Amino acid sequence: MSKHNITFEELQGNSTGFYALVGILGALVAMGLFAAYTMEHHGHVITGMDNQVVWGLPHIFAIFLILSASGVLNVASIGSVFRKAFYHPLARLSGLLAITLLVGGLVVLVLDLGRPDRLIVAMTSYNFKSIFTWNVFLYNGFIGVVGVYLWVMMDRSLQQFYRPMGLIAFIGRFILTTGTGSIFGFLVARSAYDTAILAPLFIAMSLVLGMAVFLLVLIASCVWGKRAMGIAFLERPKNLLSLFLVAVFYLITVYFITNLYVTKQHDLVYFLLASGSIYSYLFWIGYLALGTVIPLAILYHPIVGKTRNGIIAAASLVVVGGFSLLYTIIIGGQAFPLEIFSGMEVISSGFFDERAYHPYVPSVWEFMLGIGGISFAMLLTVMGMRILPFLFVPSSLSAIHLSPEEID
Amino acid sequence: MKLGLVIDLDVCVGCHACAVACKQWNTSGTTGALSDYEPYGKQPSGVWFNRVRNFEVGDYPNNKTINFPMSCMHCEDAACVTVCPTGASYKREEDGVVLVDQDKCMGCNYCSWACPYGARELDKVSGTMKKCTLCIDRIYDQELAPEDRQPSCVITCPAHARHFGDFEDPNSNVSTLVRERGGRALMPELGYNPTNKYLPPRVARPVPTDDVKMDLVSKVKNWVNKAISK
Repeated sequence: MSKHNITFEELQGNSTGFYALVGILGALVAMGLFAAYTMEHHGHVITGMDNQVVWGLPHIFAIFLILSASGVLNVASIGSVFRKAFYHPLARLSGLLAITLLVGGLVVLVLDLGRPDRLIVAMTSYNFKSIFTWNVFLYNGFIGVVGVYLWVMMDRSLQQFYRPMGLIAFIGRFILTTGTGSIFGFLVARSAYDTAILAPLFIAMSLVLGMAVFLLVLIASCVWGKRAMGIAFLERPKNLLSLFLVAVFYLITVYFITNLYVTKQHDLVYFLLASGSIYSYLFWIGYLALGTVIPLAILYHPIVGKTRNGIIAAASLVVVGGFSLLYTIIIGGQAFPLEIFSGMEVISSGFFDERAYHPYVPSVWEFMLGIGGISFAMLLTVMGMRILPFLFVPSSLSAIHLSPEEID
Repeated sequence: MKLGLVIDLDVCVGCHACAVACKQWNTSGTTGALSDYEPYGKQPSGVWFNRVRNFEVGDYPNNKTINFPMSCMHCEDAACVTVCPTGASYKREEDGVVLVDQDKCMGCNYCSWACPYGARELDKVSGTMKKCTLCIDRIYDQELAPEDRQPSCVITCPAHARHFGDFEDPNSNVSTLVRERGGRALMPELGYNPTNKYLPPRVARPVPTDDVKMDLVSKVKNWVNKAISK
């Protein structure tokens, strides 16, 4: 039962469909770059951002991609750290996606800066008290660690380092997501973020989003690449997806219940959950109904849950739910006014905070930039699969004693 | 030195002259221009280092309108300085003024998340974060007469509600005002130790407007008015 016996191959990539996919992704990337150029040329005045909502829709895309990058590596970690042979054939794709998704997220993050041309300043001038600075190191370090991890996976002469590197990458991805969650968790100024639960919540979200994205990419690579894969092969990953969904639901419930325990936070919880704002709809319909309840119903359904289309639908809905939850927490949390004059009714204000909350409407440029980032991550993934052997050869799976129904 | 402002909420009339003077001075200053968005549109807005809130305290007839000007508090332990990844936000050791190095700011906007006073101003045109500089290019300008080496908002305030000085000097005008009038920092519980202080409004007696006991002249005027209106 050694992974040595599994063979891997490149994506053939000589069909019309392959070139069409690359062309579409390339066009979407160009669209994102055009949006970034336009935002750079005109400034953020063409976005929906203002003094209160300073991180808009592109940050939702960026954080979605960064969380997914961390979570998707879980598949490889289960194989190397927890020694589950079933996951060995999936480990390379998992590592590839971890890098490409993170790069896609960072591209969006950087291009959404007010001055992306000053990225060099962020790379040469550091304030180590800032969690943001630590994240610069965590992101770059993660790409390096996963790169070495992939090298060790692919170079059979380095097999003795496979498990130690897996452990390092496993720890690294937890630190990475903790760092991302801590960007929000250390902010006492904003009512929605002054809580340590955001770090574990982001870890759980990374597991959910990473697994959903992994399933979608795996299925797409097998279906479009005409590579055999039995539905039973998806059984274990989709069970993990269900488990992670429950974990996120638990943590988000604790987040709101603990906020309800604090009287001064009641307005925040009301605003996010019951005020009838876009954030309430996104939470109840986008996250809870579409992104949690329906996927769980699909995944646990005795018939639908065992079909490829059922799993595709569930994973897609999980992605929708993840976006909705991130939008609710990140944009909704900023839209809620600062609590400066507690209990006082502001009758007019040069800060424009006499309103119940700050309106934010994302512009089409922000949306285009976000889509461009996702497309860039996917384009890198496709090109990676085309150039290097990231995909397992289905016929070699018998080496790890998969049962016949797990292979077509 | 620990330079900062004292704002007297008892005499501030909410005229916004401080905000306008600040905008006028700083838009041509070291951090200028302060961008305007749709200045002739339906909802003009832009970058303002100094803004005024108005809110009601108490219930009628014991109520009072408070005009509350706010700008950067130049905190001693400024959260914006702590979170800035590049060190573009910094606190000057010599006078305690918190500034943003416009050449180092990459526009990540994280300082805006951290400031509990909402004092950070996102300039959507320059792509950088801006804020009150305490008119740093004015208070040290040797070309100006000594009495003019004060922040623009302080010089402009028609009600003399704003005072500028060194809080480290116990005998300065600002230290004396804070001591004598019970000056307070805004949200001290957060621990950022804001330098700027506010003098609370004095307790005012209610000014009834109903059931006023009229004198003879008022009664006559009232009678005449009623007679004419018939």
